[in-house]
Amino acid sequence: MPPTSRHPDGAPVPRLPDPAHASGRLSVRVSGWRMAALSPLLVLLVPFLAGVGLTAAQSLGWLLPIQYLPEQTAQGLYASDAWAGWRQLAQPHMAGSLLLGVRVAGLSALLSVAGGALLAYGVWRLPVRMQLAALVFRVPLVLPHIVVAFLAIVFWSRSGLVSAALYQAGIIGGQARFPALLWGGDGMGMVLAYTYKELPFVMLLAVASLRRLDPRLPETARMLGAGQWAVLRDVVVPHLAPVLHASFLILFLYAFGAVEIPLLLGESTPAMPGVAAYDLYFLRSLEDRPAAAALLTLLLLCCAGFVAAYVRLVAGLRGRERQL
Amino acid sequence: MFLTLLWLLFGLPLPVLALWAAAPGWAWPDLWPAALGGRTAAFVLANRQSIAGALASSTLYSLAVVAVTLCACLAPARLLAFGRFRGRAALEGLLLAPALLPAMGFALGLYGTLVRLGLADTPAGVVLVLSVVSYPYMLRALASGFETMGQDYGRCAANLGAGPLLRLLAVELPLLLPAAVAGGSVVFLVAFSDYFLVQLVGGGVVPSFTGYLFPVLQSPDRGLAAMLSLVFLVVPVALFMLVEGLVLAVYRRRGM
Repeated sequence: MPPTSRHPDGAPVPRLPDPAHASGRLSVRVSGWRMAALSPLLVLLVPFLAGVGLTAAQSLGWLLPIQYLPEQTAQGLYASDAWAGWRQLAQPHMAGSLLLGVRVAGLSALLSVAGGALLAYGVWRLPVRMQLAALVFRVPLVLPHIVVAFLAIVFWSRSGLVSAALYQAGIIGGQARFPALLWGGDGMGMVLAYTYKELPFVMLLAVASLRRLDPRLPETARMLGAGQWAVLRDVVVPHLAPVLHASFLILFLYAFGAVEIPLLLGESTPAMPGVAAYDLYFLRSLEDRPAAAALLTLLLLCCAGFVAAYVRLVAGLRGRERQL
Repeated sequence: MFLTLLWLLFGLPLPVLALWAAAPGWAWPDLWPAALGGRTAAFVLANRQSIAGALASSTLYSLAVVAVTLCACLAPARLLAFGRFRGRAALEGLLLAPALLPAMGFALGLYGTLVRLGLADTPAGVVLVLSVVSYPYMLRALASGFETMGQDYGRCAANLGAGPLLRLLAVELPLLLPAAVAGGSVVFLVAFSDYFLVQLVGGGVVPSFTGYLFPVLQSPDRGLAAMLSLVFLVVPVALFMLVEGLVLAVYRRRGM
Protein backbone atom coordinates (compact mmCIF):
# COMPACT_ATOMS: atom_id res chain seq x y z
CA MET A 1 0.00 0.00 0.00
CA PRO A 2 1.45 3.43 -0.89
CA PRO A 3 0.93 6.06 1.81
CA THR A 4 -2.36 7.88 1.28
CA SER A 5 -1.69 11.35 -0.06
CA ARG A 6 -2.79 13.98 2.41
CA HIS A 7 -4.19 17.41 1.91
CA PRO A 8 -2.35 20.24 3.71
CA ASP A 9 -5.21 20.50 6.22
CA GLY A 10 -4.71 16.87 7.13
CA ALA A 11 -7.87 15.39 5.66
CA PRO A 12 -7.30 12.39 3.42
CA VAL A 13 -7.75 13.18 -0.24
CA PRO A 14 -10.25 10.87 -1.91
CA ARG A 15 -8.22 8.29 -3.75
CA LEU A 16 -9.13 8.19 -7.39
CA PRO A 17 -9.30 4.81 -9.05
CA ASP A 18 -5.93 4.42 -10.69
CA PRO A 19 -5.84 1.59 -13.20
CA ALA A 20 -2.09 1.92 -13.61
CA HIS A 21 -1.65 1.13 -9.93
CA ALA A 22 -4.25 -1.61 -9.76
CA SER A 23 -2.55 -3.53 -12.53
CA GLY A 24 0.92 -2.33 -11.71
CA ARG A 25 4.14 -3.78 -10.45
CA LEU A 26 2.70 -5.10 -7.19
CA SER A 27 0.98 -7.96 -8.92
CA VAL A 28 2.48 -11.18 -10.13
CA ARG A 29 2.38 -12.28 -13.73
CA VAL A 30 0.98 -15.75 -13.55
CA SER A 31 2.68 -18.53 -15.37
CA GLY A 32 0.81 -21.60 -16.52
CA TRP A 33 1.58 -23.85 -13.58
CA ARG A 34 0.31 -21.26 -11.14
CA MET A 35 -3.14 -21.77 -12.57
CA ALA A 36 -3.01 -25.08 -10.69
CA ALA A 37 -4.14 -22.98 -7.71
CA LEU A 38 -7.59 -23.20 -9.24
CA SER A 39 -7.68 -26.98 -9.00
CA PRO A 40 -9.46 -27.22 -5.60
CA LEU A 41 -12.39 -25.38 -7.14
CA LEU A 42 -12.70 -27.99 -9.87
CA VAL A 43 -14.36 -30.25 -7.30
CA LEU A 44 -17.25 -27.77 -7.29
CA LEU A 45 -17.04 -26.32 -10.79
CA VAL A 46 -17.04 -29.69 -12.57
CA PRO A 47 -20.37 -30.84 -11.01
CA PHE A 48 -21.86 -27.48 -11.98
CA LEU A 49 -20.72 -27.64 -15.58
CA ALA A 50 -21.60 -31.33 -15.79
CA GLY A 51 -25.08 -30.57 -14.44
CA VAL A 52 -25.63 -27.79 -16.97
CA GLY A 53 -24.34 -30.03 -19.76
CA LEU A 54 -26.53 -32.94 -18.66
CA THR A 55 -29.59 -30.69 -18.53
CA ALA A 56 -28.90 -29.53 -22.07
CA ALA A 57 -28.33 -33.13 -23.23
CA GLN A 58 -31.51 -34.33 -21.56
CA SER A 59 -33.49 -31.61 -23.32
CA LEU A 60 -32.59 -33.46 -26.52
CA GLY A 61 -33.56 -36.80 -25.02
CA TRP A 62 -29.96 -37.93 -24.46
CA LEU A 63 -28.56 -39.30 -21.20
CA LEU A 64 -31.95 -39.28 -19.51
CA PRO A 65 -31.89 -41.04 -16.12
CA ILE A 66 -34.63 -43.33 -17.37
CA GLN A 67 -34.46 -44.76 -20.89
CA TYR A 68 -36.87 -47.02 -22.72
CA LEU A 69 -35.83 -50.67 -22.50
CA PRO A 70 -35.58 -52.70 -25.73
CA GLU A 71 -38.71 -54.70 -24.86
CA GLN A 72 -40.66 -51.49 -24.23
CA THR A 73 -39.56 -50.21 -27.61
CA ALA A 74 -40.78 -53.54 -29.06
CA GLN A 75 -44.17 -52.81 -27.50
CA GLY A 76 -44.32 -49.65 -29.51
CA LEU A 77 -43.01 -47.19 -26.91
CA TYR A 78 -40.52 -45.02 -28.73
CA ALA A 79 -38.49 -42.22 -27.37
CA SER A 80 -39.63 -39.31 -29.49
CA ASP A 81 -37.15 -37.45 -31.63
CA ALA A 82 -34.52 -35.12 -30.24
CA TRP A 83 -36.44 -31.85 -30.54
CA ALA A 84 -39.73 -33.10 -29.03
CA GLY A 85 -38.95 -31.48 -25.66
CA TRP A 86 -38.20 -28.15 -27.29
CA ARG A 87 -41.29 -28.32 -29.48
CA GLN A 88 -43.36 -28.86 -26.34
CA LEU A 89 -42.19 -25.44 -25.14
CA ALA A 90 -43.75 -23.67 -28.12
CA GLN A 91 -47.01 -23.09 -26.30
CA PRO A 92 -48.65 -19.84 -25.24
CA HIS A 93 -48.54 -20.66 -21.52
CA MET A 94 -44.76 -21.16 -21.69
CA ALA A 95 -44.36 -17.67 -23.15
CA GLY A 96 -46.67 -16.47 -20.37
CA SER A 97 -44.39 -18.12 -17.81
CA LEU A 98 -41.26 -16.46 -19.18
CA LEU A 99 -42.98 -13.06 -19.38
CA LEU A 100 -44.21 -13.41 -15.79
CA GLY A 101 -40.66 -14.29 -14.77
CA VAL A 102 -39.24 -11.23 -16.48
CA ARG A 103 -41.94 -9.00 -14.99
CA VAL A 104 -41.66 -10.26 -11.40
CA ALA A 105 -37.85 -10.36 -11.47
CA GLY A 106 -37.55 -7.00 -13.21
CA LEU A 107 -40.03 -5.19 -10.99
CA SER A 108 -38.68 -6.60 -7.72
CA ALA A 109 -35.05 -5.94 -8.70
CA LEU A 110 -35.91 -2.39 -9.80
CA LEU A 111 -37.85 -1.63 -6.58
CA SER A 112 -35.09 -3.15 -4.44
CA VAL A 113 -32.32 -1.21 -6.15
CA ALA A 114 -34.18 2.12 -6.12
CA GLY A 115 -35.49 1.71 -2.56
CA GLY A 116 -32.22 0.23 -1.33
CA ALA A 117 -30.20 3.16 -2.70
CA LEU A 118 -32.54 5.70 -1.07
CA LEU A 119 -32.58 3.91 2.29
CA ALA A 120 -28.81 3.39 2.20
CA TYR A 121 -28.34 7.13 1.62
CA GLY A 122 -30.57 7.73 4.64
CA VAL A 123 -28.57 5.30 6.79
CA TRP A 124 -25.30 6.88 5.65
CA ARG A 125 -26.51 10.36 6.69
CA LEU A 126 -27.53 9.23 10.17
CA PRO A 127 -25.41 10.51 13.05
CA VAL A 128 -22.84 7.95 14.24
CA ARG A 129 -24.66 7.21 17.50
CA MET A 130 -27.77 6.16 15.55
CA GLN A 131 -25.92 3.83 13.17
CA LEU A 132 -26.27 0.90 15.55
CA ALA A 133 -30.06 1.24 15.66
CA ALA A 134 -30.09 1.28 11.85
CA LEU A 135 -28.68 -2.26 11.77
CA VAL A 136 -32.30 -3.44 12.04
CA PHE A 137 -32.36 -3.36 8.24
CA ARG A 138 -30.38 -6.61 8.26
CA VAL A 139 -33.28 -8.65 9.67
CA PRO A 140 -34.55 -9.95 6.28
CA LEU A 141 -31.04 -11.16 5.45
CA VAL A 142 -31.36 -13.82 8.14
CA LEU A 143 -34.89 -14.82 7.19
CA PRO A 144 -35.05 -17.63 4.62
CA HIS A 145 -37.04 -17.05 1.44
CA ILE A 146 -39.81 -19.40 2.54
CA VAL A 147 -40.35 -17.41 5.77
CA VAL A 148 -40.36 -14.14 3.81
CA ALA A 149 -43.10 -15.61 1.62
CA PHE A 150 -45.03 -16.51 4.77
CA LEU A 151 -44.61 -12.93 6.05
CA ALA A 152 -46.08 -11.66 2.79
CA ILE A 153 -49.15 -13.82 3.51
CA VAL A 154 -49.38 -12.56 7.10
CA PHE A 155 -49.22 -8.91 6.04
CA TRP A 156 -50.66 -8.65 2.54
CA SER A 157 -53.25 -11.41 2.07
CA ARG A 158 -56.95 -10.50 2.20
CA SER A 159 -57.07 -11.84 5.75
CA GLY A 160 -53.76 -10.19 6.59
CA LEU A 161 -52.74 -7.36 8.88
CA VAL A 162 -52.76 -4.57 6.30
CA SER A 163 -56.27 -5.51 5.25
CA ALA A 164 -57.34 -5.63 8.92
CA ALA A 165 -55.81 -2.20 9.56
CA LEU A 166 -57.58 -0.70 6.55
CA TYR A 167 -60.86 -2.24 7.75
CA GLN A 168 -60.40 -0.84 11.26
CA ALA A 169 -59.66 2.56 9.75
CA GLY A 170 -62.90 2.34 7.82
CA ILE A 171 -61.20 2.50 4.43
CA ILE A 172 -62.44 -0.87 3.19
CA GLY A 173 -65.78 -2.49 4.04
CA GLY A 174 -64.63 -6.11 4.24
CA GLN A 175 -62.00 -8.67 3.29
CA ALA A 176 -63.31 -8.96 -0.24
CA ARG A 177 -62.77 -5.22 -0.84
CA PHE A 178 -59.03 -5.56 -0.22
CA PRO A 179 -57.18 -5.87 -3.55
CA ALA A 180 -56.01 -9.41 -4.33
CA LEU A 181 -52.29 -8.65 -4.07
CA LEU A 182 -51.44 -12.32 -3.51
CA TRP A 183 -52.57 -14.94 -6.01
CA GLY A 184 -54.08 -12.19 -8.17
CA GLY A 185 -52.51 -13.53 -11.34
CA ASP A 186 -50.03 -10.69 -11.80
CA GLY A 187 -47.34 -11.87 -9.37
CA MET A 188 -47.59 -8.82 -7.08
CA GLY A 189 -47.25 -11.00 -3.98
CA MET A 190 -43.97 -12.39 -5.24
CA VAL A 191 -42.76 -8.88 -6.10
CA LEU A 192 -43.54 -7.78 -2.51
CA ALA A 193 -41.74 -10.78 -1.01
CA TYR A 194 -38.65 -10.50 -3.23
CA THR A 195 -38.42 -6.74 -2.67
CA TYR A 196 -38.56 -7.17 1.11
CA LYS A 197 -35.90 -9.87 1.03
CA GLU A 198 -33.65 -8.00 -1.42
CA LEU A 199 -33.80 -4.42 -0.08
CA PRO A 200 -31.27 -5.14 2.71
CA PHE A 201 -28.94 -6.82 0.23
CA VAL A 202 -28.79 -3.63 -1.85
CA MET A 203 -28.53 -1.50 1.31
CA LEU A 204 -25.62 -3.55 2.63
CA LEU A 205 -23.62 -3.08 -0.57
CA ALA A 206 -24.68 0.55 -1.03
CA VAL A 207 -23.86 1.61 2.55
CA ALA A 208 -20.42 -0.04 2.20
CA SER A 209 -19.88 1.86 -1.05
CA LEU A 210 -21.08 5.17 0.45
CA ARG A 211 -18.51 4.84 3.23
CA ARG A 212 -15.94 5.36 0.50
CA LEU A 213 -17.68 8.56 -0.69
CA ASP A 214 -16.04 11.74 0.56
CA PRO A 215 -18.77 13.45 2.64
CA ARG A 216 -17.44 16.80 1.44
CA LEU A 217 -18.72 16.10 -2.08
CA PRO A 218 -22.43 16.23 -1.17
CA GLU A 219 -21.70 19.10 1.23
CA THR A 220 -20.02 21.10 -1.51
CA ALA A 221 -22.89 20.39 -3.85
CA ARG A 222 -25.32 21.69 -1.20
CA MET A 223 -23.22 24.81 -0.67
CA LEU A 224 -23.22 25.44 -4.41
CA GLY A 225 -27.01 25.47 -4.27
CA ALA A 226 -28.00 21.93 -5.24
CA GLY A 227 -31.25 20.69 -3.68
CA GLN A 228 -31.61 17.34 -1.88
CA TRP A 229 -32.75 15.62 -5.05
CA ALA A 230 -30.01 17.15 -7.16
CA VAL A 231 -27.39 15.91 -4.69
CA LEU A 232 -28.90 12.46 -4.78
CA ARG A 233 -29.14 12.42 -8.57
CA ASP A 234 -25.83 14.04 -9.48
CA VAL A 235 -23.49 13.02 -6.65
CA VAL A 236 -24.76 9.99 -4.74
CA VAL A 237 -26.30 7.89 -7.51
CA PRO A 238 -23.33 8.23 -9.90
CA HIS A 239 -21.05 7.13 -7.05
CA LEU A 240 -23.30 4.14 -6.35
CA ALA A 241 -23.88 3.26 -10.01
CA PRO A 242 -21.50 0.25 -10.26
CA VAL A 243 -22.94 -1.31 -7.07
CA LEU A 244 -26.51 -0.68 -8.18
CA HIS A 245 -25.93 -2.16 -11.63
CA ALA A 246 -24.29 -5.27 -10.17
CA SER A 247 -27.02 -5.79 -7.59
CA PHE A 248 -29.80 -5.27 -10.15
CA LEU A 249 -28.31 -8.00 -12.31
CA ILE A 250 -27.79 -10.42 -9.40
CA LEU A 251 -31.29 -9.91 -8.00
CA PHE A 252 -32.94 -10.11 -11.39
CA LEU A 253 -31.24 -13.40 -12.25
CA TYR A 254 -32.04 -14.88 -8.85
CA ALA A 255 -35.74 -14.00 -8.90
CA PHE A 256 -36.07 -15.09 -12.53
CA GLY A 257 -35.02 -18.67 -11.84
CA ALA A 258 -35.81 -19.33 -8.17
CA VAL A 259 -38.62 -21.58 -6.97
CA GLU A 260 -38.91 -21.16 -3.21
CA ILE A 261 -41.04 -17.99 -3.03
CA PRO A 262 -43.16 -18.99 -6.08
CA LEU A 263 -43.90 -22.39 -4.49
CA LEU A 264 -45.70 -20.53 -1.68
CA LEU A 265 -46.94 -17.37 -3.42
CA GLY A 266 -47.22 -18.33 -7.07
CA GLU A 267 -50.03 -19.80 -9.12
CA SER A 268 -50.11 -22.66 -11.57
CA THR A 269 -50.99 -20.61 -14.67
CA PRO A 270 -49.04 -18.68 -15.48
CA ALA A 271 -46.39 -20.23 -13.25
CA MET A 272 -42.99 -18.68 -12.64
CA PRO A 273 -40.56 -20.34 -15.09
CA GLY A 274 -38.73 -22.28 -12.35
CA VAL A 275 -41.98 -23.69 -11.03
CA ALA A 276 -43.14 -24.55 -14.55
CA ALA A 277 -39.97 -26.62 -15.03
CA TYR A 278 -40.39 -28.18 -11.60
CA ASP A 279 -43.97 -29.22 -12.40
CA LEU A 280 -42.97 -30.67 -15.78
CA TYR A 281 -40.18 -32.64 -14.13
CA PHE A 282 -41.91 -34.00 -11.05
CA LEU A 283 -45.67 -33.74 -11.42
CA ARG A 284 -46.18 -34.95 -14.96
CA SER A 285 -45.23 -38.12 -16.82
CA LEU A 286 -41.66 -39.21 -17.44
CA GLU A 287 -42.11 -38.34 -21.11
CA ASP A 288 -42.24 -34.68 -20.11
CA ARG A 289 -38.75 -34.73 -18.66
CA PRO A 290 -37.06 -33.65 -21.90
CA ALA A 291 -39.46 -30.70 -21.99
CA ALA A 292 -38.54 -29.84 -18.38
CA ALA A 293 -34.85 -30.03 -19.28
CA ALA A 294 -35.48 -27.93 -22.38
CA LEU A 295 -37.21 -25.26 -20.29
CA LEU A 296 -34.31 -25.23 -17.82
CA THR A 297 -31.82 -24.95 -20.69
CA LEU A 298 -33.86 -22.08 -22.07
CA LEU A 299 -33.76 -20.40 -18.64
CA LEU A 300 -29.98 -20.76 -18.48
CA LEU A 301 -29.68 -19.31 -21.99
CA CYS A 302 -32.02 -16.44 -21.08
CA CYS A 303 -29.89 -15.67 -18.01
CA ALA A 304 -26.71 -15.67 -20.08
CA GLY A 305 -28.49 -13.43 -22.61
CA PHE A 306 -29.64 -11.01 -19.87
CA VAL A 307 -26.08 -10.74 -18.55
CA ALA A 308 -24.66 -10.04 -21.99
CA ALA A 309 -27.39 -7.51 -22.83
CA TYR A 310 -27.07 -5.77 -19.48
CA VAL A 311 -23.30 -5.52 -19.64
CA ARG A 312 -23.53 -4.00 -23.12
CA LEU A 313 -26.26 -1.61 -22.00
CA VAL A 314 -24.22 -0.39 -19.05
CA ALA A 315 -21.10 -0.09 -21.18
CA GLY A 316 -23.13 1.95 -23.67
CA LEU A 317 -24.40 4.27 -20.91
CA ARG A 318 -20.86 4.78 -19.63
CA GLY A 319 -19.61 5.50 -23.13
CA ARG A 320 -22.25 8.19 -23.59
CA GLU A 321 -21.40 9.76 -20.26
CA ARG A 322 -17.79 9.99 -21.27
CA GLN A 323 -18.69 11.83 -24.45
CA LEU A 324 -20.67 14.45 -22.58
CA MET B 1 -38.11 9.82 11.82
CA PHE B 2 -36.03 7.91 9.29
CA LEU B 3 -35.12 5.39 11.97
CA THR B 4 -38.81 4.85 12.76
CA LEU B 5 -39.38 4.08 9.10
CA LEU B 6 -36.50 1.58 9.11
CA TRP B 7 -37.81 -0.15 12.22
CA LEU B 8 -41.35 -0.28 10.89
CA LEU B 9 -40.18 -1.67 7.58
CA PHE B 10 -37.65 -4.22 8.80
CA GLY B 11 -38.21 -4.65 12.53
CA LEU B 12 -41.98 -5.10 12.60
CA PRO B 13 -42.14 -8.67 11.21
CA LEU B 14 -40.37 -10.16 14.23
CA PRO B 15 -42.82 -8.93 16.91
CA VAL B 16 -45.69 -9.84 14.58
CA LEU B 17 -44.32 -13.39 14.28
CA ALA B 18 -43.95 -13.53 18.07
CA LEU B 19 -47.53 -12.32 18.53
CA TRP B 20 -48.88 -14.89 16.07
CA ALA B 21 -46.90 -17.60 17.86
CA ALA B 22 -48.36 -16.54 21.21
CA ALA B 23 -51.90 -16.15 19.87
CA PRO B 24 -52.60 -18.90 17.34
CA GLY B 25 -56.30 -17.99 17.33
CA TRP B 26 -55.69 -14.44 16.09
CA ALA B 27 -58.56 -13.64 13.70
CA TRP B 28 -59.23 -10.94 11.12
CA PRO B 29 -59.94 -8.01 11.60
CA ASP B 30 -58.40 -7.76 15.08
CA LEU B 31 -55.20 -5.73 15.09
CA TRP B 32 -54.38 -7.21 18.48
CA PRO B 33 -55.25 -10.85 19.19
CA ALA B 34 -58.29 -11.37 21.42
CA ALA B 35 -56.69 -14.15 23.49
CA LEU B 36 -53.23 -15.57 24.02
CA GLY B 37 -52.61 -19.31 24.10
CA GLY B 38 -49.77 -21.76 24.59
CA ARG B 39 -50.70 -24.21 21.84
CA THR B 40 -47.70 -23.53 19.59
CA ALA B 41 -45.26 -23.64 22.49
CA ALA B 42 -46.80 -26.95 23.57
CA PHE B 43 -46.31 -28.27 20.02
CA VAL B 44 -42.63 -27.31 20.04
CA LEU B 45 -42.19 -28.95 23.45
CA ALA B 46 -43.98 -32.13 22.41
CA ASN B 47 -41.97 -32.40 19.18
CA ARG B 48 -38.72 -31.15 20.60
CA GLN B 49 -36.80 -34.23 19.52
CA SER B 50 -37.67 -34.07 15.83
CA ILE B 51 -37.28 -30.27 15.82
CA ALA B 52 -33.88 -30.44 17.51
CA GLY B 53 -32.87 -33.24 15.13
CA ALA B 54 -33.81 -31.18 12.07
CA LEU B 55 -32.03 -28.10 13.45
CA ALA B 56 -28.91 -30.12 14.26
CA SER B 57 -28.84 -31.75 10.82
CA SER B 58 -29.28 -28.37 9.07
CA THR B 59 -26.56 -26.83 11.23
CA LEU B 60 -24.14 -29.68 10.58
CA TYR B 61 -24.49 -29.80 6.82
CA SER B 62 -24.35 -25.98 6.64
CA LEU B 63 -21.12 -25.92 8.67
CA ALA B 64 -19.74 -28.64 6.40
CA VAL B 65 -20.59 -26.45 3.39
CA VAL B 66 -18.71 -23.55 5.00
CA ALA B 67 -15.67 -25.79 5.56
CA VAL B 68 -15.73 -27.22 2.02
CA THR B 69 -16.09 -23.81 0.35
CA LEU B 70 -13.35 -22.31 2.55
CA CYS B 71 -10.89 -25.06 1.63
CA ALA B 72 -11.82 -24.97 -2.05
CA CYS B 73 -11.62 -21.17 -2.37
CA LEU B 74 -8.42 -20.21 -0.49
CA ALA B 75 -5.89 -20.84 -3.27
CA PRO B 76 -8.14 -19.69 -6.14
CA ALA B 77 -9.01 -16.47 -4.25
CA ARG B 78 -5.31 -15.77 -3.81
CA LEU B 79 -4.77 -16.24 -7.53
CA LEU B 80 -7.69 -13.96 -8.42
CA ALA B 81 -6.49 -11.27 -6.00
CA PHE B 82 -2.80 -11.22 -6.93
CA GLY B 83 -2.51 -12.84 -10.33
CA ARG B 84 -2.53 -11.03 -13.65
CA PHE B 85 -3.29 -13.11 -16.68
CA ARG B 86 -5.23 -13.01 -19.89
CA GLY B 87 -8.89 -13.99 -19.68
CA ARG B 88 -9.11 -13.07 -16.02
CA ALA B 89 -12.49 -11.36 -16.32
CA ALA B 90 -13.91 -14.31 -18.25
CA LEU B 91 -12.53 -16.74 -15.66
CA GLU B 92 -14.05 -14.71 -12.83
CA GLY B 93 -17.40 -14.68 -14.62
CA LEU B 94 -17.27 -18.45 -15.07
CA LEU B 95 -16.33 -18.99 -11.43
CA LEU B 96 -19.22 -16.81 -10.19
CA ALA B 97 -21.79 -18.40 -12.52
CA PRO B 98 -23.08 -21.06 -10.08
CA ALA B 99 -24.44 -18.35 -7.77
CA LEU B 100 -26.01 -16.34 -10.58
CA LEU B 101 -27.67 -18.95 -12.77
CA PRO B 102 -30.83 -20.80 -11.64
CA ALA B 103 -29.71 -23.62 -9.34
CA MET B 104 -32.34 -25.93 -10.78
CA GLY B 105 -30.65 -25.73 -14.18
CA PHE B 106 -27.71 -27.78 -13.01
CA ALA B 107 -29.31 -29.67 -10.11
CA LEU B 108 -31.97 -31.52 -12.11
CA GLY B 109 -29.46 -32.48 -14.81
CA LEU B 110 -27.00 -33.73 -12.23
CA TYR B 111 -29.60 -35.57 -10.17
CA GLY B 112 -29.49 -38.81 -12.16
CA THR B 113 -25.71 -38.90 -11.87
CA LEU B 114 -25.91 -38.32 -8.12
CA VAL B 115 -28.28 -41.28 -7.86
CA ARG B 116 -25.87 -43.46 -9.83
CA LEU B 117 -22.93 -42.36 -7.68
CA GLY B 118 -24.90 -43.15 -4.54
CA LEU B 119 -24.80 -39.50 -3.44
CA ALA B 120 -28.53 -38.86 -3.64
CA ASP B 121 -30.34 -38.99 -0.28
CA THR B 122 -27.03 -38.63 1.57
CA PRO B 123 -25.63 -35.69 3.57
CA ALA B 124 -22.54 -35.79 1.32
CA GLY B 125 -24.69 -35.12 -1.76
CA VAL B 126 -26.46 -32.27 0.01
CA VAL B 127 -23.14 -30.72 1.03
CA LEU B 128 -21.79 -31.06 -2.51
CA VAL B 129 -24.77 -29.38 -4.19
CA LEU B 130 -25.04 -26.61 -1.59
CA SER B 131 -21.29 -25.97 -1.89
CA VAL B 132 -21.63 -25.59 -5.65
CA VAL B 133 -24.25 -22.84 -5.36
CA SER B 134 -22.64 -21.02 -2.43
CA TYR B 135 -18.86 -21.07 -3.06
CA PRO B 136 -18.91 -17.89 -5.19
CA TYR B 137 -19.77 -15.84 -2.07
CA MET B 138 -16.78 -17.32 -0.25
CA LEU B 139 -14.56 -16.77 -3.28
CA ARG B 140 -15.51 -13.08 -3.59
CA ALA B 141 -15.08 -12.47 0.13
CA LEU B 142 -11.68 -14.17 0.31
CA ALA B 143 -10.44 -12.49 -2.89
CA SER B 144 -11.27 -9.04 -1.51
CA GLY B 145 -9.70 -10.11 1.80
CA PHE B 146 -6.46 -10.97 -0.01
CA GLU B 147 -6.63 -7.67 -1.89
CA THR B 148 -7.00 -5.71 1.36
CA MET B 149 -4.17 -7.66 2.96
CA GLY B 150 -1.78 -7.12 0.06
CA GLN B 151 1.27 -9.24 -0.65
CA ASP B 152 3.77 -7.49 1.63
CA TYR B 153 3.09 -9.53 4.77
CA GLY B 154 3.60 -12.77 2.88
CA ARG B 155 6.79 -11.40 1.30
CA CYS B 156 8.18 -10.36 4.69
CA ALA B 157 7.48 -13.81 6.08
CA ALA B 158 9.10 -15.42 3.03
CA ASN B 159 12.18 -13.22 3.43
CA LEU B 160 12.44 -14.38 7.02
CA GLY B 161 12.42 -17.95 5.78
CA ALA B 162 8.82 -19.07 6.23
CA GLY B 163 7.68 -21.77 3.82
CA PRO B 164 4.34 -21.62 2.01
CA LEU B 165 2.50 -23.63 4.68
CA LEU B 166 3.79 -21.60 7.62
CA ARG B 167 3.05 -18.41 5.68
CA LEU B 168 -0.52 -19.51 5.16
CA LEU B 169 -1.12 -20.66 8.72
CA ALA B 170 0.76 -18.01 10.70
CA VAL B 171 0.48 -14.92 8.52
CA GLU B 172 -2.27 -15.04 5.93
CA LEU B 173 -5.06 -16.96 7.65
CA PRO B 174 -5.18 -14.74 10.76
CA LEU B 175 -5.26 -11.63 8.57
CA LEU B 176 -7.98 -13.18 6.41
CA LEU B 177 -10.17 -13.99 9.40
CA PRO B 178 -12.63 -11.10 8.91
CA ALA B 179 -13.04 -11.93 5.21
CA ALA B 180 -13.47 -15.63 5.96
CA VAL B 181 -16.06 -14.85 8.64
CA ALA B 182 -17.96 -12.58 6.25
CA GLY B 183 -17.90 -15.14 3.45
CA GLY B 184 -18.65 -17.98 5.83
CA SER B 185 -21.70 -16.17 7.26
CA VAL B 186 -23.22 -15.73 3.81
CA VAL B 187 -22.43 -19.31 2.83
CA PHE B 188 -23.91 -20.61 6.08
CA LEU B 189 -27.09 -18.59 5.56
CA VAL B 190 -27.47 -19.76 1.96
CA ALA B 191 -27.05 -23.40 2.99
CA PHE B 192 -29.16 -23.17 6.14
CA SER B 193 -32.01 -21.32 4.41
CA ASP B 194 -32.14 -23.49 1.32
CA TYR B 195 -35.24 -25.59 0.89
CA PHE B 196 -35.34 -26.77 -2.71
CA LEU B 197 -31.89 -28.28 -3.22
CA VAL B 198 -31.92 -30.00 0.17
CA GLN B 199 -35.30 -31.56 -0.58
CA LEU B 200 -34.20 -32.61 -4.06
CA VAL B 201 -30.83 -34.15 -3.24
CA GLY B 202 -31.58 -35.07 0.36
CA GLY B 203 -34.83 -36.64 -0.76
CA GLY B 204 -36.38 -36.03 2.64
CA VAL B 205 -33.96 -38.59 4.09
CA VAL B 206 -31.48 -35.94 5.20
CA PRO B 207 -33.45 -34.02 7.84
CA SER B 208 -33.50 -30.25 7.42
CA PHE B 209 -35.30 -27.55 9.29
CA THR B 210 -36.55 -25.89 6.11
CA GLY B 211 -38.01 -29.25 5.09
CA TYR B 212 -39.73 -29.40 8.49
CA LEU B 213 -40.94 -25.81 8.19
CA PHE B 214 -42.20 -25.73 4.59
CA PRO B 215 -45.35 -27.87 4.95
CA VAL B 216 -46.32 -25.89 8.06
CA LEU B 217 -45.90 -22.61 6.16
CA GLN B 218 -48.20 -24.02 3.45
CA SER B 219 -50.82 -25.07 6.02
CA PRO B 220 -53.44 -22.62 7.26
CA ASP B 221 -51.99 -22.76 10.80
CA ARG B 222 -50.33 -19.33 10.90
CA GLY B 223 -49.63 -19.50 14.63
CA LEU B 224 -47.54 -22.65 14.36
CA ALA B 225 -45.83 -21.37 11.20
CA ALA B 226 -44.86 -18.18 13.05
CA MET B 227 -43.55 -20.15 16.03
CA LEU B 228 -41.40 -22.46 13.89
CA SER B 229 -40.11 -19.48 11.86
CA LEU B 230 -38.87 -17.97 15.12
CA VAL B 231 -37.29 -21.29 16.13
CA PHE B 232 -35.47 -21.28 12.78
CA LEU B 233 -33.85 -17.93 13.61
CA VAL B 234 -32.28 -19.24 16.83
CA VAL B 235 -29.39 -21.04 15.12
CA PRO B 236 -28.07 -18.33 12.76
CA VAL B 237 -28.46 -15.58 15.35
CA ALA B 238 -26.74 -17.61 18.09
CA LEU B 239 -24.00 -18.69 15.71
CA PHE B 240 -23.27 -15.16 14.48
CA MET B 241 -23.05 -13.87 18.05
CA LEU B 242 -20.70 -16.72 18.96
CA VAL B 243 -18.47 -16.09 15.93
CA GLU B 244 -18.36 -12.31 16.55
CA GLY B 245 -17.32 -12.99 20.13
CA LEU B 246 -14.67 -15.51 19.08
CA VAL B 247 -13.16 -13.19 16.47
CA LEU B 248 -13.01 -10.40 19.01
CA ALA B 249 -11.36 -12.72 21.56
CA VAL B 250 -8.78 -13.95 19.03
CA TYR B 251 -7.84 -10.42 18.05
CA ARG B 252 -7.60 -9.30 21.67
CA ARG B 253 -5.34 -12.20 22.56
CA ARG B 254 -3.08 -11.43 19.63
CA GLY B 255 -3.15 -7.76 20.58
CA MET B 256 -4.33 -6.63 17.16
